[in-house]
Amino acid sequence: MFRPALRQLRLSRAFTTTRTALAQVQAQRQATYALKVEDAPIVQYVKRRVEERRKLQSEISDDALSDEDIQKVRKIRELEPLQDAWTEWKHAKESLEETLPLLNDPDPTMRSMAEEEYASLSDNMTQMVENTFPSLLVPPSDTAHLSAIIELRAGVGGSESALFTADLVRMYTRTAQSQGWTATMLGSNVLETGGMRDAIMEVKGEGAYDALRWESGVHRVQRVPATETNGRVHTSTVSAMVLPLLEEKGSNNEDDDLFTMDEVKVEVMRSRGAGGQHVNKTESAVRLTHIPTGITVSMQDERSQHQNKRRAFQVLRARLMDRKLNQEMIDRRDLRRSLVRSADRSEKIRTYNYAQDRVTDHRLGMSVKNLDSVMEGDGLQDFLKALQQRHHDELLEDVLSERS
Amino acid sequence: MPHLRPLLSQLTRAIGRHSAEVELKWMKGTLDNPPSGIRQSCRSLEEMVARRAAGEPLQYILGSQPFGPLELAVRPPVLIPRPETEDWTMRLAETLTPSPSRPAKILDLCTGTGCIPLLLCHLWPAGSIHATAIDISPDAIQLAKENAVLCGITAYGDASTQPLTTPQAKNTFMPILADLLHPEFITQARLEPPYDLITSNPPYIPQAEYDALPASVKDYEDIQALLGDSPSPHASGAPAEDRTKGLTFYHRIAALVGGHGLLRAGGTLALEVGAGQAPAVAAIVQAKAGVDKIDVWKDPWGKERVVVARR
Repeated sequence: MFRPALRQLRLSRAFTTTRTALAQVQAQRQATYALKVEDAPIVQYVKRRVEERRKLQSEISDDALSDEDIQKVRKIRELEPLQDAWTEWKHAKESLEETLPLLNDPDPTMRSMAEEEYASLSDNMTQMVENTFPSLLVPPSDTAHLSAIIELRAGVGGSESALFTADLVRMYTRTAQSQGWTATMLGSNVLETGGMRDAIMEVKGEGAYDALRWESGVHRVQRVPATETNGRVHTSTVSAMVLPLLEEKGSNNEDDDLFTMDEVKVEVMRSRGAGGQHVNKTESAVRLTHIPTGITVSMQDERSQHQNKRRAFQVLRARLMDRKLNQEMIDRRDLRRSLVRSADRSEKIRTYNYAQDRVTDHRLGMSVKNLDSVMEGDGLQDFLKALQQRHHDELLEDVLSERS
Repeated sequence: MPHLRPLLSQLTRAIGRHSAEVELKWMKGTLDNPPSGIRQSCRSLEEMVARRAAGEPLQYILGSQPFGPLELAVRPPVLIPRPETEDWTMRLAETLTPSPSRPAKILDLCTGTGCIPLLLCHLWPAGSIHATAIDISPDAIQLAKENAVLCGITAYGDASTQPLTTPQAKNTFMPILADLLHPEFITQARLEPPYDLITSNPPYIPQAEYDALPASVKDYEDIQALLGDSPSPHASGAPAEDRTKGLTFYHRIAALVGGHGLLRAGGTLALEVGAGQAPAVAAIVQAKAGVDKIDVWKDPWGKERVVVARR
């Protein structure tokens, strides 16, 4: 269901690229292409919505507004930007139709002017199909303002997997820097043999969650480990989980809409004996348990118990928010038979192949040669952009299939 | 980080594997990013590990201790702020709600680093608290002043240097050197009762327990901040049977509060106590301080830790 629309988009794109080689003999065929853009599902959809709006306008009574009318007025107002875009589209299309006969004009000057006019109009129409309509149809992301928490956990592959966990920490730190976000390590278990058993980092900045959320899943590395003496290539995995980070509350003791304080058991770890003045050993580890879900969060990286508790609550909030968003996505999908997928955390999403100097994203079917640019530079951004575009396309496809 | 391995083993032998891992990380963190405004006494990780292995508290080696959102300077022999104290001070800050229109005058006895009043000054709105902090140790008073500066709290050397009209929008902190057990304490400390809140983490360890304390406490932290049995018990008014239970200072504080009107009607008295002392301290406060509502708060480890009374 998703493919035909893309094909349509590609079709319109092909149509613009050939316009420079416009020849008289091709003119007629070109013209039929241009008019065919009108059949694109997105154009049909916009047309339906605009007709719907006109119908609503005709239904509204002239005098006193009923509650139902107020609903309709709101709907009409919501659809106004789409109406404006549609009007523009119609004008462009009319002009295009007027230009068509002139492409065959015997006067060469006239013909060349018509060709220019035709090119600019068709450009404009393509632009509308590819950008203007989709941006008006896909609802703005309600997580656009959120920062992110990235949790990484070494998987199969032992110490090599731990080494790659540390490599991924560096990759995300670089990416954060190049995007103007701030990355902070919240906690990690560093191994004596090098690498990390797990790591949890905070990436603060506008759009961080929306850009990074598709990093959730299993990352696979194929390389000869530093510790391998026989030069054999090993395959190891690291699992990543990206959570939405909410603005911090002033106090840990305030309830919020994700949980109440009664539902959270706060435990300090390790006995302090008599405690107080008798003991000056630092024991700052904290564990939270969210009783209804059984989610536990432990933090021990800070010397301050207060800080550990603050961070643990931050992570708990992020995990609960993640659950909530995921559930909402599932509900929405069930409700509308939506095509938008929720992240499958056990899915193998990407392979980093050192021997072949290549990073492949299995969901996109996209490979980047030059692994170093991904691990050490800003190459990851190409994947992040493509994944966001994919999500956007899915949302659009979802909207288009909604009522057809 | 191969050079860390011998250091980790050295530290593990002294304090155990788990503590060694986290403490080595904190030592490295402090060397890499020293907290601003706090003088560092160590130049290298090797020196830090050697001192720690010899039994010195981590906090003195690093020169700092977090206390709530604050980072306080600590150095020997001033008592290192404890997480139990941090916990109840945070809780107290949420229990009371002073405001610039009804500012609270508070008195902290045996202030040490100044941690309790400084945290309250930090957490409560500007202009809502004026704190007086007392200690018998010149080292403590000096450190408390430095900590006020570190925390950005306006500190006054003594009452005479305080401007007649304190700017409304500031919380103020005044550390004063005085001996709580001295018969003329109130005059010596230039107290101006009544106070809305009196807090104290007085020395509360009995002699017998003091003798058995771990070396990192006994050999490094001030005995005056720990030992609750006073060499001059007559001053506290403690009955003979309480003089070996670490309760000397509670008798003294309760008597001052009850006899000299230190606490305003409706005011709060919060006293940290040692493990097992809460019932005795509650009884002392009940009998002598002229308070009626007495609560006992537990610390995060489940020990009865604070006696909170209201007048």
